[in-house]
Amino acid sequence: MSLTLPQSALSRRRVLQLLGIGAGTAALAACAPSAPSSTGAAASAAATGGAKTDFAFSSWSFTEEAAAPALEAIVKAYQDQAGVTVDDVSFPYNEYINQLTLQVKGGQFTGAAHVDVAWLGSLAAMGKLQDLAALTDGRGYTDAALAAAQFDGVQYGLPWTIGAIGLVGNSEILQKAGIDPDAFPATIDEFEKSLQDLKALGGGMIPYAASTKAAQLKDILIWMETFGSPLVDGDTVTIGDDASVEAVTWYKSLYDQKLIAADVDRFDARSLFAQGRAAIYDDAPVGRNAVQEESPDKDLGSKLTPLSRPVLKAGDTPRALVWGGAIAVVDGEGAATAADFAQFATSDLDTVLADYEVRGLPPVTTEAQQSDVVAADTFGSLFNERITATSTSNPFWKFTAYSQIETVIAEQVQAVLVGKTDAKAAMQKAGEAAQKLVG
Amino acid sequence: MTSSQTHTLEHRKSQTTPRRLSDGQFAVLLLLPGVALLAGVVLYPLIAALVTAFFEQSLVLPGRTFVGVQNLVDVLQGDFLRLLRQTLVFTLGTTILPFVIGFALALALNTRIRGAKVLRGLMLIPWLVPGVVVSFLWMWIFNANYGVMNALLQSIGLIDDPQAWLAQPGTAMGAVILAKTWQSFPWMMVMLLAGLQTVPVELHEAAEMDGAGTVRRFFAITLPHLKGIVGLVLLLEFIWNFQHFDIIYVLTGGGPAGATQTFATAVYETAFQGYDLGKAGALGLLWMVLLMALVVVYVRFSEKGEER
Amino acid sequence: MSATTQLPAAPTPPSASSPADDAPRPPQRLRRGALRSERPGVRFAAWATVVVCGGFGLLPVYWLLATSLTPRDQVFAYPPKFFPSAPTLDAFAALASNDQLFGYLRNSVIVSVITAVLSVLVSAYMGYSFSKFRYRGRRSLMYLVLASQMFPQALLLVTLYTVFSAYGLLNTYTALVLSFTTFTLPLCVWMLKGFFDTIPDELIEAARVDGASRLRIIHSIVLPLAAPGLIAAGLFAFVRGWNDFVFALTLAGPEKQTLPPGLVNTFIGEASTAWPELMAASLVVSLPVAIAFIALQKYLVGGLTAGAVKG
Repeated sequence: MSLTLPQSALSRRRVLQLLGIGAGTAALAACAPSAPSSTGAAASAAATGGAKTDFAFSSWSFTEEAAAPALEAIVKAYQDQAGVTVDDVSFPYNEYINQLTLQVKGGQFTGAAHVDVAWLGSLAAMGKLQDLAALTDGRGYTDAALAAAQFDGVQYGLPWTIGAIGLVGNSEILQKAGIDPDAFPATIDEFEKSLQDLKALGGGMIPYAASTKAAQLKDILIWMETFGSPLVDGDTVTIGDDASVEAVTWYKSLYDQKLIAADVDRFDARSLFAQGRAAIYDDAPVGRNAVQEESPDKDLGSKLTPLSRPVLKAGDTPRALVWGGAIAVVDGEGAATAADFAQFATSDLDTVLADYEVRGLPPVTTEAQQSDVVAADTFGSLFNERITATSTSNPFWKFTAYSQIETVIAEQVQAVLVGKTDAKAAMQKAGEAAQKLVG
Repeated sequence: MTSSQTHTLEHRKSQTTPRRLSDGQFAVLLLLPGVALLAGVVLYPLIAALVTAFFEQSLVLPGRTFVGVQNLVDVLQGDFLRLLRQTLVFTLGTTILPFVIGFALALALNTRIRGAKVLRGLMLIPWLVPGVVVSFLWMWIFNANYGVMNALLQSIGLIDDPQAWLAQPGTAMGAVILAKTWQSFPWMMVMLLAGLQTVPVELHEAAEMDGAGTVRRFFAITLPHLKGIVGLVLLLEFIWNFQHFDIIYVLTGGGPAGATQTFATAVYETAFQGYDLGKAGALGLLWMVLLMALVVVYVRFSEKGEER
Repeated sequence: MSATTQLPAAPTPPSASSPADDAPRPPQRLRRGALRSERPGVRFAAWATVVVCGGFGLLPVYWLLATSLTPRDQVFAYPPKFFPSAPTLDAFAALASNDQLFGYLRNSVIVSVITAVLSVLVSAYMGYSFSKFRYRGRRSLMYLVLASQMFPQALLLVTLYTVFSAYGLLNTYTALVLSFTTFTLPLCVWMLKGFFDTIPDELIEAARVDGASRLRIIHSIVLPLAAPGLIAAGLFAFVRGWNDFVFALTLAGPEKQTLPPGLVNTFIGEASTAWPELMAASLVVSLPVAIAFIALQKYLVGGLTAGAVKG
């Protein structure tokens, strides 16, 4: 890696170029050979074995107003460097995995695919994802990031933006209620007390905009883990155990005390938080831009505070759910170059930093994480330290039907919240239904 | 059969100049493009999907194994009855409510009130807003925490606290039905309005002279005249709504706690979230058998009615 | 449905008065529709209905408009402002610079128009065959056409995807047009059959005696007579193509995607929904269609009057 280059100066220049602000092709061309992919070129050449070809790259972000420029810049930089044409493909985020599954299954799609790490298991089951392990050598990916993009020990994706889902608070509101964001409640009991204090602020304040809509109720899983349920032991679903029942009972009590609100999913939570009507909510780093954009408070960005998730008893490790994007490579036409592109997009320092300036998503190489730009981002660093550091994958992700497993659990939790059934019976039922889907 | 059909062209075959194709052959030829489309786009995929009902087959994993009626048994032992009940509630609700609203509007706009023409046009808008936007618009309106529905009801004092319309088992189905109603009442209105225009004014005027009131004339003249169109819109709406998916999927995803799950959302969820094509096929098979039975009963019933 | 065929013939539309029709009726044109004089009670009831039902129909449209005029950072405020306090055209301005959206709009128009034309043509042939010829299996086939609507389309989708893929039709307009056309057949065929039923056989017979070929009779006599019905059927087919989400999303691919998936793709992202922009875009794309429909309204109602509606 060209660590000796003055990174910050270069990156600023590259940022501008990548974003196409007054960047001439000549400048890019001059820059390309010095791009630090030279070491990786050996690895990728070994994997790709020959001339570069055109390929397709799919991502839900191509049409998203905020994220699209970052992706377009990466694609453009790669096209100029490799002399190939990248065909961009996009589906709405909510439909993306279904569409990609159909396309891959039908042989319609080959090339590089932006995926959520949660999807790797079910995509890998189709047998068409390449093992990208050979491309990771010497690229400086952190172990945690690599692990997040593995499934069954195989590197099915190159990590791109790996973080976690954790609690995010509004420090101004927290302080108003006498809660120090830097000494956030460590245990669940203290946490509940703090929520009550927040509620006491009045004005229809929603202390914790936790997910209560079925589509997002899978957020409860991390609380079950916090209460000590392993969720899955080997192939046995453990939901229905005491810990899971306790977690749901507790959630329900928050619901009844109106410490969490009805009919909230991630989007709603962000909107409420942006309006200053919620003090705490669950989110991944990707939500930061959205929250700021939707807020009438132009200073909200500085008030965002990542918070460690409270634990059952003092001293436990806070739980957090791995969240993130990876680039997987689907076998077939253009796959070799697509793999090279995946490596470029995820680990070429200048590319990654330019991307960071636009999307603000956590990078995956040590070098990028330690760069000035990333280190100077307080929210990002704190998020890393308080949340991502102890994050783990959702144990259900290894089953192809994980999404439906989450759905059946969410449905039962919702039945408890709306008072249709009690926690114990519901969790028993959820466990059985999930077990059936596991097989 | 309409009376004109007694004069079918076949009877006069002999009078016409000879040609290569018989009338029967020509008639079949006319059917071909449509039949080809139906065979390719519906029949073949339908059979393929029904066959999967007897296999364990995944959307993502290659290969499949024959499991006999296991999938059907699983589906029937599951939430089938609840699913059926909810599907019928949704289907009947979204057939009757738009019908009532559409009919009322058609009657009102068939009078000579001022602005009727403009209103007829304006009323078409809900039907022309892209379907997916209809779903999002109502999600927006019903939202528990910032929706305008709550604000409106609170401001006129009907409710004290904001309600989570889409998240309470008691209100979710109603909310979904309301949203679907909004989308489909315009076309009901158009169809019925068209029907109303065929009612001869003379009949009404004659009846009025005989002293029949508005209500009486409605039942004695208007309604019998509209029988055909009413039957058509109700049947079509019923069939369409039975498989309506978008609005439920976006508004509630079948929740809360499965309270708005219908066959259509269940099939989608089983196939695209559970990747279980076998079970989705089984659900589809049962659904079709049920729906066909319902329609046959309806057709028999209405035919009987006509014979009287 | 059956009622359409079973009931005694409807009064014929003015465009095709039918001496062949032996249902008892005065030979002269009838005035139909609204009465000339109405009792005050009727007027009041009419107005009350318009206010209540019309309110239900139009308030959400108003809210669509109001939201599209609200700045992004105020759109989530509660209670919402019934009248935007600081209306802005930002959302609309953003649309103008969005080329992708025009692409979706173009695709939508192309797909919907071709669907409408093809559907009318195919349904006209089919409806004519059902209306004017007698053969074994005719009734069964008519009901089969109807039954084709009864199956879960989510399941059809999986197989259709593979079929279109095998013929290289994925990511083409063709795949969409073929699917939508097929889904519109039941309504259009039944509607047009009803319409053709009202065209007197004598008219066709006369043309036949004059030596016109059967296809020529359809194209130059029957179809022109049925024009209002064709337009009505076409408009319905258009809306089917215009409104579809799942098929368009799955079969069309990114290049040929129509508005519904396009709108979702553009405004409903991974992290947030751009409500004002989504609403603005929906309004902008619905408006031309609404205007076209209002302009064609008399055909829509007129065509139906003579066709499906008879009874």
